[in-house]
Amino acid sequence: MRATLVFLGMLSFLAPEGAVARLRVAATLPTLGAVVKEVGGDRVEVSVLASPEEDPHYVDPRPNLILVLNRADALVVNGLDLEVGWLPPLQAQARNGRIQTGAPGYLDASTLIPRLDVPTTPVDRAQGDIHPGGNPHYLFDARSLERVVRGVGEFLGRLDPEGAPEYGRRAETLAGSLEAFQREQAARIAALPVEKRRVVSYHRSFPYLYQWLGLEEVATIEPRPGIPPDPGHVARVLATMKATGARVIVQETWQPRNTSQTLARLVGGTVVVLPGGVDLSRGESLLDHLRQVAGGVIHALQH
Amino acid sequence: MRIRTVIGTCVMLCLTGISRGALAQEVPGSPGPEDADRRALEEALGADRAAARPPAAMPPAAMQTASTTVAPTAAGGISLDLSFILDVAGAWYSQDPATIGGHDPNRTGFNFQGLELAIQSNVDPYFRFVGTMVFSQFGVEVEEAYGQTLSLPGGLQVRAGQMLTRFGRINGTHPHQWSFVDQPLVVGKFLGSEGSRGLGAELSWLTPLPWFLEVSASMTDAAGECCARSFLGGRDLGIHGIGDFLYTAAIRQFFPFGRDWSLLWGLSGQWGPNASGHGNRTEIYGTDLYLRYRPAGHPERMALSWTVEGFYRARQVPGTSLRDYGGYAQMVWQITRRWETGVRYEFVSGLPGDPLDPEWTDHRQRAAVQATFYPSHDSRIRLQGNGDWMAWRQKPVLGAILNLELAVGAHGAHTF
Repeated sequence: MRATLVFLGMLSFLAPEGAVARLRVAATLPTLGAVVKEVGGDRVEVSVLASPEEDPHYVDPRPNLILVLNRADALVVNGLDLEVGWLPPLQAQARNGRIQTGAPGYLDASTLIPRLDVPTTPVDRAQGDIHPGGNPHYLFDARSLERVVRGVGEFLGRLDPEGAPEYGRRAETLAGSLEAFQREQAARIAALPVEKRRVVSYHRSFPYLYQWLGLEEVATIEPRPGIPPDPGHVARVLATMKATGARVIVQETWQPRNTSQTLARLVGGTVVVLPGGVDLSRGESLLDHLRQVAGGVIHALQH
Repeated sequence: MRIRTVIGTCVMLCLTGISRGALAQEVPGSPGPEDADRRALEEALGADRAAARPPAAMPPAAMQTASTTVAPTAAGGISLDLSFILDVAGAWYSQDPATIGGHDPNRTGFNFQGLELAIQSNVDPYFRFVGTMVFSQFGVEVEEAYGQTLSLPGGLQVRAGQMLTRFGRINGTHPHQWSFVDQPLVVGKFLGSEGSRGLGAELSWLTPLPWFLEVSASMTDAAGECCARSFLGGRDLGIHGIGDFLYTAAIRQFFPFGRDWSLLWGLSGQWGPNASGHGNRTEIYGTDLYLRYRPAGHPERMALSWTVEGFYRARQVPGTSLRDYGGYAQMVWQITRRWETGVRYEFVSGLPGDPLDPEWTDHRQRAAVQATFYPSHDSRIRLQGNGDWMAWRQKPVLGAILNLELAVGAHGAHTF
């Protein structure tokens, strides 16, 4: 018995300083983590499962992530099957009822936004890696994020009613600045001639971003989602780029760059490599990240 | 006697855990109800539970209305993760390959390795259901069908049903999770052609240490030719006492070194009766090491992994004790999203007069090399070459295997 007490005493050193019971929230993706952090403020302690360099479809399910989920009071996920390849076993092994799907501490942020690319016919895998619930890459879009920010504010308020007014205030402030920002950026694009608003993407990662900014995607380098490009398809993409005048290729950091760069060189265009998420380790904020995303695309379109 | 007390305590812990789990959902950040309030709430919940018990004779009409109005809406949107995974292979061997794995291509010509149906779903907030059915050309076999608790307190988890035991690294996995087409020899020889599995229950504990350290203990059937061959195997002698079960214990620890390097280390042991005579027992010990380098965000998802497993076995047989050992080491390199290659070396010792493997009188070494092409995330084509040196045969067995694997349905998640 005494040995157990001594052991527990030793463990208490491992607990964070100033043992104010903060709400421990895990977020699957860095951008969701940034939302929780900015809305939650000091009342919340955030842990993020994926790093901003990692492809959110293929996050490495390392067992240390089980520890994070075991100790979390809440879990915020992207949803729309983006995490289906790695999250379910981690949740099951976490031995934590609070973060299981459907529990009060579980928030699927995709339930907060209007979804795009929702299949209208039954999904067939020959179409590639189609997400049956709709396109899951809404975190690049400031308008979707506005809704997510408000939703996270309400979610945290339900879990920690005492902090609800504070979460509400912070969420409103952040959503307000997102709204101003998204209008300003959309206006910058609207000033461009129509033929300058055409882009090519590597993966179908940006329909929400393009809808926000008023851009038109004329082709994707992947012939179908998740299927690597073949020469025939790339030749067609090149022909489309020449015919439509699209000169800007947009992709994420974890996608291969050789094909994009070659295509860009052939049409005298540019490749814009967007960071996959907010880099919290470098102290980046949600708006910093969106500035980089929208600014990168707009800068490339203007030149 | 002591074992009985320990098991009794475990069962009691689990039962109290299940009843408490439902109440233990509150969030530490928010102030909990005062003691008096909590008592009042508990009493009210108790009264509600008593009131919810169906009256002895409910009119049949009322029952029908309830089921017809509620059931269809509830069933409409429930998702069940179902997937089928097919493994077929064409093989050539220079002589009889003496394969031992239940899904190994075992003859020259076409081989049906198996069609696996995997089912996973949460049952309710307390249980997850996992089922793996394997269809061979002429029958169906339930490889796994178990429930796993989701919300026991204290980092505890129970699995109950038919399941693969957590002995070592490869034993808990199915063929479509393997890098090579065939099962390591030591797994087939020591644990069984289908690995170590059985009906039973397992308790595991995720310790509150700052690194991942999981302890697990299970109690399963000691019989089964396929799945407990070093124990009772095909001779089911029945249960006459607590010592007639197969006990498995394991410790797994994980150490991340930065974002790119990972190390998983496991220690396992199995204890149980064997069929060689009254009171004779078998013990197997194992250790497994998995080291991986996977640079985060690599555009081609490059990864280099190294796995080693070593087993030691001791069996009491009339008049003596048989001791043998074996293991394998493999290195797998995911070069690009579409290409992977790997090498494996295996060594398993042999004993003259071994009642389980009378032919296997001396040591056996096997080397394999494989190249894999992934057309997409859901299919792969593997070419594997084997060289198998059995010390009791004149010539090595050479083999070439071309395997096709296709997965349809829900995306199976990857485990580490």
